[in-house]
Amino acid sequence: MHATGAGPGAAQAGATASRRIGPYVLITALDDPYSRIPVPERRYIARSDDGEHTVLLSVPHRGTDPQRFMAEADTSRYLLGPFVASAVTCAGPGEAAWAARPYLPGLPLPTALAVHGGPLPERTVHALGAALAESLGVMHGQGLTYAGLSPAAVLLAADGPRLTCFGAVRAAAPDGTPRSGLPGLEPGSLPPEQAAGGHPRPLGDVYALGSTLAYAATGHTTPEGDELPPALRTVISRCLSRDPATRPQLSELQGVFAAGLNQESASAEFTTTTTALLGPGWLPSRVIAAIAHQSATVLAAEIPPPTVSTSRQD
Amino acid sequence: MPTPLTHDDPHTFGSYRPIVRLGSGGMGTVYLARSAGGRTVAVKTMLAGIASDPSARTRFRLEADAARVIGGRHGALVVDADTQAETPWIATEYVLGPPLDEAVGVVGSLPEATVRALGAALCGALGQLHSTDVVHRDLKPSNILVTAYGPKVIDFGIARAIGDDRLTRVGAAVGTPAFMSPEQASGEEHTSAGDVFALAGVLVYAATGRGPFGHGQTADLLYRVRYGEPDLSDVPAALVPLLGRCLDKNPFRRPTTSELAAQLHDGSGEFADHLSDPLLAEIGRRATEVWLITPQRLDAPITQHAESPTAPTATMPRRRLLLAGSGLALGAAAVGAGAWAWSRRSGSEPHLPVTSPSNSVLPRKKLDSLWQIQVADSPYGTVPAVEPLAVGNLVTLVAGAGLGGIDARTGDVLWASDQMEIHWQIATDGERLVRMVAAEGSENNAGKPGGFPLILASVNLVSGKAAEPFAQFTDFNGVMDYNQVLCTADGVVYAAAGQGKYDTYFLTSQSWSLFAVDISTGKRLWTKPLPTRPDKSDRLYFLTARVVGSNLVALQETNDGKVRVVVRDIRTGAVRWEKPFDGVAPDRVQRPLATDSDTLYLGSGRLRALRLSDGTQVWDSRTERPGRTYGPPTVIGGVVYAVEKGLGLVAFASGSGRAQWEEKGGGGTKADTSAAPVIGTDCAYSKRSSALWAIDLASRTPTASYKTTGDRFIAHEKAKVTIALGGKFLAAFPLK
Repeated sequence: MHATGAGPGAAQAGATASRRIGPYVLITALDDPYSRIPVPERRYIARSDDGEHTVLLSVPHRGTDPQRFMAEADTSRYLLGPFVASAVTCAGPGEAAWAARPYLPGLPLPTALAVHGGPLPERTVHALGAALAESLGVMHGQGLTYAGLSPAAVLLAADGPRLTCFGAVRAAAPDGTPRSGLPGLEPGSLPPEQAAGGHPRPLGDVYALGSTLAYAATGHTTPEGDELPPALRTVISRCLSRDPATRPQLSELQGVFAAGLNQESASAEFTTTTTALLGPGWLPSRVIAAIAHQSATVLAAEIPPPTVSTSRQD
Repeated sequence: MPTPLTHDDPHTFGSYRPIVRLGSGGMGTVYLARSAGGRTVAVKTMLAGIASDPSARTRFRLEADAARVIGGRHGALVVDADTQAETPWIATEYVLGPPLDEAVGVVGSLPEATVRALGAALCGALGQLHSTDVVHRDLKPSNILVTAYGPKVIDFGIARAIGDDRLTRVGAAVGTPAFMSPEQASGEEHTSAGDVFALAGVLVYAATGRGPFGHGQTADLLYRVRYGEPDLSDVPAALVPLLGRCLDKNPFRRPTTSELAAQLHDGSGEFADHLSDPLLAEIGRRATEVWLITPQRLDAPITQHAESPTAPTATMPRRRLLLAGSGLALGAAAVGAGAWAWSRRSGSEPHLPVTSPSNSVLPRKKLDSLWQIQVADSPYGTVPAVEPLAVGNLVTLVAGAGLGGIDARTGDVLWASDQMEIHWQIATDGERLVRMVAAEGSENNAGKPGGFPLILASVNLVSGKAAEPFAQFTDFNGVMDYNQVLCTADGVVYAAAGQGKYDTYFLTSQSWSLFAVDISTGKRLWTKPLPTRPDKSDRLYFLTARVVGSNLVALQETNDGKVRVVVRDIRTGAVRWEKPFDGVAPDRVQRPLATDSDTLYLGSGRLRALRLSDGTQVWDSRTERPGRTYGPPTVIGGVVYAVEKGLGLVAFASGSGRAQWEEKGGGGTKADTSAAPVIGTDCAYSKRSSALWAIDLASRTPTASYKTTGDRFIAHEKAKVTIALGGKFLAAFPLK
C-alpha cells in the first residue's frame, strides 16, 4: 500500500484518545511527518460529532501566533476560483485556533511525489502550472496576495489542485521582521523580498509558483537549471529571479503552460485551456490510485461515539 | 448519479442511515448510507415484497455469505447485514470504481494492457473463490467493479436466479445469457471451468465493447453460446488463441484460472499502472464526487426563501432538469449518460463545486401547499423550462434526466424513470402520455454514422415505463438532441426530428421535418420539411403547440430568434397561415397556448385574438386599453383572463375583447405577468411577489394567498389542484 497520508495506520495511531479540535474529531493527519518539506500548519482529516461533516482541518503550529493564523484563515474565506480550498468555518472568538473546509480527497504535493516515486511528469507540471497561475490571477484581481504558496500548500485532487495555507508568510511574522528560517516556511518558496521582511506582493506569488513547479518537476524547490524540463527551464528560472521586476506576469505563464496542450482538446467546446489540461491523464496512475485509496479509507473511517468527558486537545 | 430518498425509504438499516439512493432495480434498492461515526457504506436491500418469499430471503442470505467469502480484496467488503429484517439488507464498503460495463460505456473498449491486468486480477478473484468451493455462476461486466487497486466481483448468481423472469423462463438456466457457459446454457452443472468461460467473455467485452456471442433474444443467445463460434474479430491478436481456449465448448479443454493468469500477465507494476487514462480519470472522479453528495429525502419540504426568487431568464436552449426521484440502474453512477446530459455545462464553471459541508437537512416549515416535493437542484445548474403535465390522475414532469409520475392529489411520487435517456420528449392529450424512446445501444453512442431509429411509445401510467413502441422510423436519427414531440390529440402524435449526422448543435447538413404519426398504426400520416438551422444553432424549432379542431397551432422559432405563429392543417401538414409574434423572447412563450374552438389568444405584451381559420386579427387590447401590458392569457367559457401589469387580473369577452371586469382591492399592483392565471370554478389564481393569490370570480377580490416561489402554474382539473413548479420543487395548491 502507498503512503497516502491517510492510511488506516495513521487513523488508528491517533484514535486512542479520539483527539478533538474545535467541534471535530480527528481521523488522521494529512501530511507525512517525515517529509523534509515543511508544512506551514498542522493539517488533519476530521469529522463532526454527528458523523455528517468530514473536513480538512488546519491548526497553527505550536509556538506560532494563533491570531495571525486566524486572520489569514478568515481572509481566505473570500478567495474565489475553483482551485482554492479556502476555509469555510473557523474557530470562534476565544476558542483555540482552527479552520476547516469540506474534505475532498487529495494528496499534498510532496506526498504525490513520494507515491509516484519521483518528480511528476511534465504534463502534470504544465497542468498544475496553468491551474495555479489561473488561481493566483483571480486572487490578484481580488487585490489579494497569496503569500503562502509552497509544495505542501498544494493538494492534488482528482480534478485539479487545491490551494491551502493562504497567507502562511504573513502569518509567520509581521512585515519588517525577517522571515527566513521560520518554522513551516519552505525556504526555497519564500521570495527573497519576503524573507527579508518585506510586505508580500503579487510578484512574490510568482516566485513561489516557480519554486513549487520546480519542486513538482525535479523534487527540489531550488533546482539546478539543467534539472528542469527544457520547455519550463527559462520560465521557471525567470520566476525565481531575485528582482521581482524581472519575474514574468501570470498571463504570460498561463500561455507557456498551455503551449503543451494539443490543439484538438484545446478546441473542444465548453473547455477552457486549464480544464483541458486537467483532463484524463493529468495525474500519473499511482497518484490517482492513492487519491482513491485515501477517499476509500476516509469513507470507511468511523469516529468513536461522543463520550461525556472528551479529552480536549492542547 | 445519486437520487433523493423517497418518503417511504427506511430511516435506518441497523446503525446506518440512508443518505441517498444509488440505484434501484427489480430486486431492491441500493443506498448510500452512513453510520453515526460517519462511516459511509453501500446498503443493498431486497424489496419487502420479494423478501416475503422464504426462498428469496434464503438466497439473499446466501449472497451475503458468498460476499463474505470473497472478502474485501476481491469483492466489496461486507460491513454488516440483516437478512432477517422485514426489508433484508447487506451493507458493504462503497467501492470507488465503475462497473466494467459502465467503464466501457464511458471510456470505450479497453487497451490490451488493461484487459490483461484485469483478466489476471479476475483470475485471482475466481481462484480464491474456487479454492473455497464456491462458483460465481454470473460473472459479467456489470458485476465487476474496476477500482484503482484491482477489480472487485459483486452480485453472485445465487440471488440473481430469482425475481428475474427472463431467466427463470429458460428453465434451470441461471446467469446472464451473453456471458453464460454452454454447460450452464444447457442446464448442466456449471463448475469453475464455467467461470473461466464467463471470464473470457468478460475480457472480450472489455476489449471490444461486446460479448463473444453478441446480444439479442435470450433463446438465440443461448443457442449461440451452446453451438456458435465466439466472435473474436476485434480482440487484440495476441489474446485471440488464449481467449479462444477459454471459450472452448468442452469445459475440460479450458485453462485453469492460474494458467490463464500466468499467460495474461507477468504481474509487473501496480494494477493502476495498466489502466488507461480515461479509466483512471473515471475512478478519480468517483473517489471525489462521493464527497459532494448531500442527504436528500423527497418529502422534506424545502423552505420557501431557499428558492431563487427570480425566474430564470437566460436563454436555455434545452429543457433539462434533474428530477429528484429519477433513479438510475442498480449501482449506476451514470457517467456515460451524465456526460451526455451535462455536456453543455460550461467549462468555466468549477468542475466540482466546493460547497459548504452542508449535509444539513433543511428545516421543516409549515407550508401553505397541499403537498410539496423537491425536484431538481441539479448540481450542474440546469434550468427547468418545461411545464408539468396533467395526465389522468397524475402530474408528470419531464427532464433531461428523468420522468416522474406524481399523484396529483397526494404528491406521492408513484414512479420515476430509472434511466438517463437521450430524450425526455413527452406529450399528453390529458389521458395518454407519449414519448420518444432512446434506441437500444444509443446511449453514449450518439455519433454512430448511420444514426439510430427514432422510436415513439406510450408511457404506462401505472409503472412509468415505456410500452412497446408504436412507431419506429429509421430515416430519422433518433439521438438528435433537438428532436421534439410537440403534442398529441385524437390518436395522432406530432413530432419534429432530424436526419443526418449527429452533433451537439444543429448542422446545415442535417435535414429536419415535422410529421404526424397515427398511434394505432404507427404510420406517418404526413411529413413536412422544416427550414435548415444554421451550423451551431441550438434553438429548438417549436416552442409550444396544440391541436384545435383541424388545426395544428404552433409557435415556431426562426433562425434569427424570432417567434412566429404557424397554423397547419392536421390532415396534410400544409401551412394554413403564419404570422410573426413580435416583441417576445422565445423562452418566455414556451408554455401552453390559449385557444378556444376558433381563436388563438396571445399575450406577453398586448393581448390579441387571432382567428384560427385564417389568422385574421379579431381584436387587440390596444384598441380599448392602449399602453397596457399583459401576461399570457387563459381562456375558458368565453372569457379571456390575463394579468395586467400594475393592475392585476382582467377578464375580457373572448369574442369582442371588451374588458368585462378588473380585479378589485388594489392587490394586483404587484401581480406577476410572467405566468398565465389558473382558472377554477370559483377562483382565479395569479402570482404576486412570493405568493399565489386566489381571486374570487364573483366578488373579483382576492380571498386567499399561498406562499410560493413557483413560477409556472397549471390547473389539474381532475385532482382539483393548482400545480406549481419552482426552481427546485413541485407543489400543489387548491383549485376552487
